[in-house]
Amino acid sequence: MAKSSTPVEKAARLLDLVPFISSHQGISLVDLAEQFKISQSELLSDLNTLWMCGLPGYTPLELIDLEFESGFVSIRNAEILQNVRTLSKEELVILAIGLDLISTALDEARPELEENLRSLQEKIRLLIGEIVTVEPTVNSSHRAVILQALESRRDLQIRYHSLIRDSISERQITPIEMSFDHGYEVVRAYCHSAKAFRSFRLDNVKAIDLCAPSFEVQPYSESDPYSIELRVTDRLRSVMERFRISFDQNRRASAENLIATSFSQDWLMRNALSTLASTEVLAPSEFRSAVARRCQIMLELYGDSSFAVVGE
Amino acid sequence: MSRKTERLVNLTIALLATKRFLTKSEIFRTIDGYEGAPESKERMFERDKDDLRKLGIEIEVGSFDPLFEDEAGYRIKSESYQFQLRGLSGMDITLLSLAAKAWRGAALDSAALSVLIKLQAMGVASDLESIPELAPALDDGDQNLSLLITSLSSRQAVSFFYRSENLGIDKRSIAPYAVVSKYGHWYLVGQDLDKFEVRSFRLDRMTTEIIKIGKSAAYEIPTDFKASDHLDAPSIKESALLYLRDDRALSIRNRGFATSDAVAPPGWQAFKISFSDEDRFLEEILWFGDDVVVLSPQSMRGKAIALLEAGVKRYG
Repeated sequence: MAKSSTPVEKAARLLDLVPFISSHQGISLVDLAEQFKISQSELLSDLNTLWMCGLPGYTPLELIDLEFESGFVSIRNAEILQNVRTLSKEELVILAIGLDLISTALDEARPELEENLRSLQEKIRLLIGEIVTVEPTVNSSHRAVILQALESRRDLQIRYHSLIRDSISERQITPIEMSFDHGYEVVRAYCHSAKAFRSFRLDNVKAIDLCAPSFEVQPYSESDPYSIELRVTDRLRSVMERFRISFDQNRRASAENLIATSFSQDWLMRNALSTLASTEVLAPSEFRSAVARRCQIMLELYGDSSFAVVGE
Repeated sequence: MSRKTERLVNLTIALLATKRFLTKSEIFRTIDGYEGAPESKERMFERDKDDLRKLGIEIEVGSFDPLFEDEAGYRIKSESYQFQLRGLSGMDITLLSLAAKAWRGAALDSAALSVLIKLQAMGVASDLESIPELAPALDDGDQNLSLLITSLSSRQAVSFFYRSENLGIDKRSIAPYAVVSKYGHWYLVGQDLDKFEVRSFRLDRMTTEIIKIGKSAAYEIPTDFKASDHLDAPSIKESALLYLRDDRALSIRNRGFATSDAVAPPGWQAFKISFSDEDRFLEEILWFGDDVVVLSPQSMRGKAIALLEAGVKRYG
């Protein structure tokens, strides 16, 4: 048990134990403790307390009647608390968020349940108003397929939109784990197309299917990350967020000598082009030259008469 | 064993069982656990009422007899005590359980557990295994999310430090109106208590843990409040004409439509895409390098050329 409950938490649990036991008469102490995620000794202490509660008068006629010495729990004389307790506002908010998370995937995965979902969302909205809305970026049926693949050790066929390459491709991957990278949910995997380990952002997965059981993964040698040094003249927070420069290491935030690091030079290049108006790359010099070349290529397009609107 | 726990349960039972209002003196006389001097009983009772309210149990205050209006009475209505979502089918329970399971391992796990227990206690047969296709999960990297949900639920103002665009760090005091996840980020929308207007804040730009300030139920959320009014991009003003290289610039392609207003060179397509802020949109476009060319508006094309010329000069 992580921490012992406060008297109020314990009271809430006792109030919830009554209807739960009432609808699960004869449940074992082991199962009941498991359901409430408490230790058996804590459960016994709960039951012993509950046993002392009842209507004023507190004679055996008024007290809640519990039987649990056999290792199985049954309850009587608890009609007053038999109703399942109301959901608190916080619990309703939790449900509202959870239902929003389900909603995007449902039309694809289980369209027949959409009406149930809408009506539940509506019921909850009537109770709490529109104080939470969630637009999930990840399709939860995609997540379900990945979890299934991890469990059954199978490969996945994905259609993936790479933002850096600006292209959509089909890949076969062997998933290794799910995690978070800079706030994005990713699956780390061995990519059989790239013959290397890669992280795939779940919000960029366009389609996903399970493949045959997985084969062995090649040993992995990671290439070194690439760093560039920046000076920022404007919109410092936005630029740092864009280059994923952590704020902690720049506590005395200065716009000079910021270091941006990535495994992808292409990604750094695209960000450098995006922020031409507010950022200068100070080093390394070969990266500066590469930016200059890209700017030159782009300028040539603008100079080309077939890339200008005729008649202006 | 805690006397307090026992007293709270006994108080709930007594107030639920009674049809008429119980006076304070009746409560002190009959309910087990109220002991000591009259003053300390009073204090115990006040605290107990608060604690029950925090559990979502509403104690109704009223007069039990119109002839004795001076003494208030208390009771709990069974309609307000019991689970408020009625007529749920097994499939409804399954969907709600799945929604609560999205919080597995997240900061509000204990509240989610309480929801699951209540759902199961309904005694309606349901089966999570019947929807294996879905695995909702919450991106709960941010500790402040659960703190905000708690404050929002109890309508309690909060304060925190926030990183501004120039990296200055300011203290903000906000009455939370809504928590919204959009564009992959969590946002707080609420009344700024110093600036007297509704503002929105990205959670990952808060530099400290939020602190609750003031009392619960300290403010009302305006009935006509809509979070989207404060988060959606300002209404779109202009439309740009762009040439996109075939099969490139995928993420802006589906925001606009192909047009025949201009004839693009072979290997390129003309697109019209709407935007609200020229500079921000230009940043987006430059990301695609030599796969996008701006044709109009003229001001944006001019800016693009000026930036590229400056780039050649600076880095060349």
